[in-house]
Amino acid sequence: MDNKKIVYCHLVDIDFEDRTFPFSYGIIPASLESSIANVGLLQAPLLVAGDNGYKIVSGRRRLEVLRNKAIRKTAAKSLEIAVTVAEKSSFQELFRRALWENLTIREFNLVEVADIYIAALKIFRPDELEKEIMPALKLPIKPRFQQRCQVVVGFSRPLRELLANGTIDGETVDLIREWSVDERAALAELVVEFSLRRNKLREVVSRLEDLSRRDRVSPLEPLSAARKFVLVESGGVDVELLRTHLKSLLYPHLTAAQNEFASRQESFAWPANLRLESPPDFEGGKFRLSFTFTDAKEWQKTCEKLNSVALEDIDELCRRS
Amino acid sequence: MNSVVDPKYYRSLFRPTMVLVEDEASGSPLTESILGRLPNAEVVFIERPTSENLALLSRQYSSHTTLLLALHRGRFLKACPGTAESYRCCLYQILHLGLGCNIGCSYCVLQGYLNNPFITQFVNLEDAFAELDRELEKPGVFYRIGTGEFTDSLFMDPLTGLVSRLLDYFGRSKNAILELKSKSVAIGSLLDYPGEIGETVVSWSLNAPQVCAQEEGHAATIEERLTAAVLCRQRGYRIGLHFDPLLYFTGWEDEYRQTVASIFSHLKGDDIIWISIGAFRFMPQVKEELRANHPQTNITAGEFIRGIDGKQRYFSAIRRQLYRFLVTEIKRYAPNVFIYFCMEDQYLWQDTFGFAPADNQELSHWLDKCCYRYNRLKKE
Repeated sequence: MDNKKIVYCHLVDIDFEDRTFPFSYGIIPASLESSIANVGLLQAPLLVAGDNGYKIVSGRRRLEVLRNKAIRKTAAKSLEIAVTVAEKSSFQELFRRALWENLTIREFNLVEVADIYIAALKIFRPDELEKEIMPALKLPIKPRFQQRCQVVVGFSRPLRELLANGTIDGETVDLIREWSVDERAALAELVVEFSLRRNKLREVVSRLEDLSRRDRVSPLEPLSAARKFVLVESGGVDVELLRTHLKSLLYPHLTAAQNEFASRQESFAWPANLRLESPPDFEGGKFRLSFTFTDAKEWQKTCEKLNSVALEDIDELCRRS
Repeated sequence: MNSVVDPKYYRSLFRPTMVLVEDEASGSPLTESILGRLPNAEVVFIERPTSENLALLSRQYSSHTTLLLALHRGRFLKACPGTAESYRCCLYQILHLGLGCNIGCSYCVLQGYLNNPFITQFVNLEDAFAELDRELEKPGVFYRIGTGEFTDSLFMDPLTGLVSRLLDYFGRSKNAILELKSKSVAIGSLLDYPGEIGETVVSWSLNAPQVCAQEEGHAATIEERLTAAVLCRQRGYRIGLHFDPLLYFTGWEDEYRQTVASIFSHLKGDDIIWISIGAFRFMPQVKEELRANHPQTNITAGEFIRGIDGKQRYFSAIRRQLYRFLVTEIKRYAPNVFIYFCMEDQYLWQDTFGFAPADNQELSHWLDKCCYRYNRLKKE
């Protein structure tokens, strides 16, 4: 791209609404803000002329920092900056340039990856997509990941923001792929209300999705019911109670077995240093007994306690219902 | 083929409109024979398939209508990919002659295992039989060999004619039996085979009628499978039945009871060499594939825990319920039929049957003893 020139323009001459080159979405890092505050723009953003002013090819985050700063000082109209304006360059060239320029300084978040991929679909041939664009975006060449991008571009603003800031991960996007707008909106509200993040959120969504599939109902039903249950039971927001409750709904037999095991063990009235564990999820037959001790006396006391347990009780404890 | 069970059986057969032929596989007798039976199919010759070029080809050609004819370069005879020693495996051997199937069961674990999207037929049968010759020479060793692990044993037979070739080989074998496992009823060549069928076992995978209707694509119905089993039995084949995967759903007891009743309205206990049972299990990564390929299914939304082998399995109390019920139902009709679990732990064996194989070898021995050939071999 040889045809470019440095020009001075006002911020109001830039079409911030245009997202033809969708290379930036989400929170702007504080380090970029302080860098610009301290030393100004180190590199001129790349623009191209458009119908409603200059379109931003690359450098949107830098320009948004300036705009936010200028708006705060009500100086947006008068602030003049140096930018590079591309002339006679093909759209494809500009897109490629912006892609690689961004990649040299940062990684894209999942919203950006989706936006860029969907935009690139209209610009590049399939072989160019597979050989250059998708590897650059670290997007595996599998239908699942392409579908994920389609889903993300259809997300509402709150969900896109949760995705861009890392609260929602890609696997969670896959789980809610077939959820309706209302179902997704309810989830976004739950995420904010319960401050759910990433792994716990994925677990909650996975359980809601399983419950919805199992009972052939909308995910809204288990979601609303679980939310109400937690608010009533705990009198407020309690993430752990939400997780436990959803697990007990999805795993009624396992939960019953765990409760039964705990109550049988409780009936032994063992000292706190003695611990019996069931096999993980009761799979396989191996129970684990452990105890801690500090001296011979404590050792002896624990052994006596163990010897006093009736074999029938152990049988009962290990009984597989 | 004049012994077709039901003219509609064609629905569970594969009718490719495109055939990809690996260059080195062209000219082989099986390639020629298959292409001869597909006069209207488009044929494209390709380089040796690798995972990379298969991925590219999969974007050009539909996996639903494309058949790949290729050479198999690894071992044809493989141990069944059982599982960790904590779950008992019968030490079955797989004769690996093809990959994939077009029946489209929602629960098919191949969705997560195969990196080859095309239904594939290996055409270098001579190499397979040569390997079998070498393997089966081992003195005193008995083999139970099946072809239905990575594919359906019968669904493509009208195209490949493979069943007759296998019967030619295993009909005469003294220390091996062949088991053909299927959900189709393409039994024409089994019934019409003029030679010695030996102790070949023809097996059908069975399930609850609701599972068959909702989850088993265009497999033959339970009634069709059992009718086919009767015809095969009349021809002298031994019949195997496989309840795998058992699914836990509302009304499962009535549904499985129906299937068991249906079995014994067609067959006697003595007709059946063995019945295997295995509850639904899958590698965690299959879940996403399964949901993407079958969005309507809810079979993965149950009480699945992580097994010792890393697979998702129903919580043991649910498996116990399923097993006890099914075993009791079967034993009502056929108290002496041999029932075994596929990949299940010794505790569930013990809880259901009151006994358990000490290890995989013992389970293998129990199955061997079901075979006349094995018993004859031991007497010699």
